[in-house]
Amino acid sequence: MSGPDVLVVEDDADLAALVEMILADAGYPVRTAAEGAQALARVEERMPGVILLDMRMPVMNGWEFARAFADRYGRAAPIVVVTAAENARARAEEVGADGWIEKPFDLQAVIDAVAVHLGPPPAA
Amino acid sequence: MQRGDRDPRSAPVDDTRRGALWIALAYALIGTIWILLSDRALEALVTDGAVRAQAQTVKGWFYVLVTAVLLYLAIARLRAGLAARDRRLRAVLDTMLDGVIVFDRCGRIVEANPAAAEIMGTADPALPDGELSQLLVRSVVRHPDGRPARPEETAAWRALNGETIDGWETLVRRADGRDVFLTVSAVPLVGHGGEPELAVVAIRDVSEVKRFEAMREEFLATAAHELKTPLAVVKAYAQLMQRRGQGDPSALSAITRQTDRLHRIVQQLLEVSRFRVGGGELRRERFDLGTLAEEVVADMPGTRGRVVIAREPGAAVNGDRERIGQVVAALLENALRFSPGGGEVETSIARLGSDAVLSVRDRGVGIAPERQARVFERFYRAHVGTPEDYGGLGLGLDVSREIVARHGGRIWFESEQGRGSTFSFSLPLAEDAS
Repeated sequence: MSGPDVLVVEDDADLAALVEMILADAGYPVRTAAEGAQALARVEERMPGVILLDMRMPVMNGWEFARAFADRYGRAAPIVVVTAAENARARAEEVGADGWIEKPFDLQAVIDAVAVHLGPPPAA
Repeated sequence: MQRGDRDPRSAPVDDTRRGALWIALAYALIGTIWILLSDRALEALVTDGAVRAQAQTVKGWFYVLVTAVLLYLAIARLRAGLAARDRRLRAVLDTMLDGVIVFDRCGRIVEANPAAAEIMGTADPALPDGELSQLLVRSVVRHPDGRPARPEETAAWRALNGETIDGWETLVRRADGRDVFLTVSAVPLVGHGGEPELAVVAIRDVSEVKRFEAMREEFLATAAHELKTPLAVVKAYAQLMQRRGQGDPSALSAITRQTDRLHRIVQQLLEVSRFRVGGGELRRERFDLGTLAEEVVADMPGTRGRVVIAREPGAAVNGDRERIGQVVAALLENALRFSPGGGEVETSIARLGSDAVLSVRDRGVGIAPERQARVFERFYRAHVGTPEDYGGLGLGLDVSREIVARHGGRIWFESEQGRGSTFSFSLPLAEDAS
C-alpha cells in the first residue's frame, strides 16, 4: 500500500470517516485531515495522489488551503472540491481544482472522482 | 392604461358645469317672470304716470339688491365648501404615510405632501429645485438592480404622457445621501383638451421590506447549506451499508430515496433564495430538450410504466441544462403527486415556431378554477385544505417560472378540476437548431 493515496480534508468527523470507509472499501489508501492546516502537514509528510477538499472548515478553509497548496507545490496533486454549494463547478473553478463532488453525493461519485486520478479501484 | 379612458376623471368637471348651467337657467326664468309680473302689477295698482315711474326705479333698485345678496350668499357658500374640502384633502395628504407629489405639464412640482419630503429626506421637495428633471438627477433614479433609469422610464414621466403606472420599483438617493427603495404609482389628470395636465405621483419607501427580504434570503441560504452536509452523511452511509451487504436492503433504499427527497426540497429553498439574492447566473450550453426529458424521467423514482414521452426531434435549446432539468423534474413530480389514482403522465416535446415546447399532462385531480390564478405564487399550494392535499412546499412552480423566465421562455398551464392538468413551458430554440 505504498502507492499514491487519497487525502480527505473534511471537518465533519462522520463525513470524513465515511469517505474514508468508501475509499478503503474500494481499495484506495486514505489519510484524513480535519482542516487546511492539518492537511498541509499531511502533504508535508508525503504528497498524496489526490486531495478531496471540503470548502467550509474552521481554522483554514478550503480556499485558503488551495491557495497555500498552489503556492508551495504548484499542481503537484489534483484537488477535487467536495461542496454543498449550489454551484459546485464555479467553486471548483475558483480554486483551480481539477474536479468537484456535490453534497449530498452518491457513493459511486466519490469513487469515480478518485478513479480519474488514481486509476480504477484496486478492490473492484 | 393609456390615454383614452380619461372619462372617469373628467366626469366631475362636466357635472359641475351642468349644475352651474341649471342655476343660471333658473335665475333667468325667475328674473323674466319677476319683470313681467311686477310690471303688470305696477300698471294695475298705480295709475298716476309720475308715481309709476318712481315706483319702477325703486323696483329696479330692489331687484339689484336682492340679486346682490343672493350672489353673495351663493359665492360665500361655494367658497366655504371649497375651503372645507381643501382642508379635508390637505389633512388627508398631510397624514398619509405615502408621499404624494403633483407635477404639472412642464414637470414642475405644484404640490407635495410632508411624507414625500420625509421620504426624499428634504424639508420641502418642491423648494430647492421644483422640477421633475432636476429631481430625477438629484435623486440618481435607478432600477432596483442599480442600473440607471432613463427619465422617460420613470413613473412621473410616463404619467405626464398619459400612462397610469402601478407599482414601479426604483432605487433613489435621498438628500442626505442614503439610498432608499421606492414603489411608485402615478396617474395622469387629463384636462379639457384631452392632454394630461397634471401627474399625481405616489411614492412609498419599501427599504425596510427589502432589507428584511434580503435577511430572510440569506438565512434561507445558510440553512439550506447547513442541511446538506448531514444529508450527505446519511445518504452515503445507507449506500455504503447497501454495498457492503449489511442491513435490510429495502430499508436502506428507503433511506436513500427519502434523503434524495429532502435534498430536492433543500435545493428548491436554496434556488428560491439564490434567485432573489445573487441573481443566480445561468451556465448556458446547447442541449436537446427531449434528451434531457428522457434523462430526468429515467432518474426519477416512480416514473416507470407511468410516464410516456413523445418527442419531436431537433428541439435544441441554449440554456442551463441543470436548471431546465429541475423545471422538468418539478412538473413531473407535480403530475405524479397529483394523480393519486394513477393514469398515464404524457410528456411531449415539440417545436412551435421559434420555440421548443415541453408539456406534461396528467389525468389527476386538476386545480379548482378559483385557485388557478395563484398557482405560480411562491409558497402557494393550490390543494391545501382540500382532500387532494398531497404535500409539497409550494416552491416548485415558483422556481420553475423564474428559471424559464430567465431563459426568455414562458410557462403556463391548463387544468380542469377532476380531469387533470397540463403544464407547459417554452424556450427559444437554439439558433442553429435544424
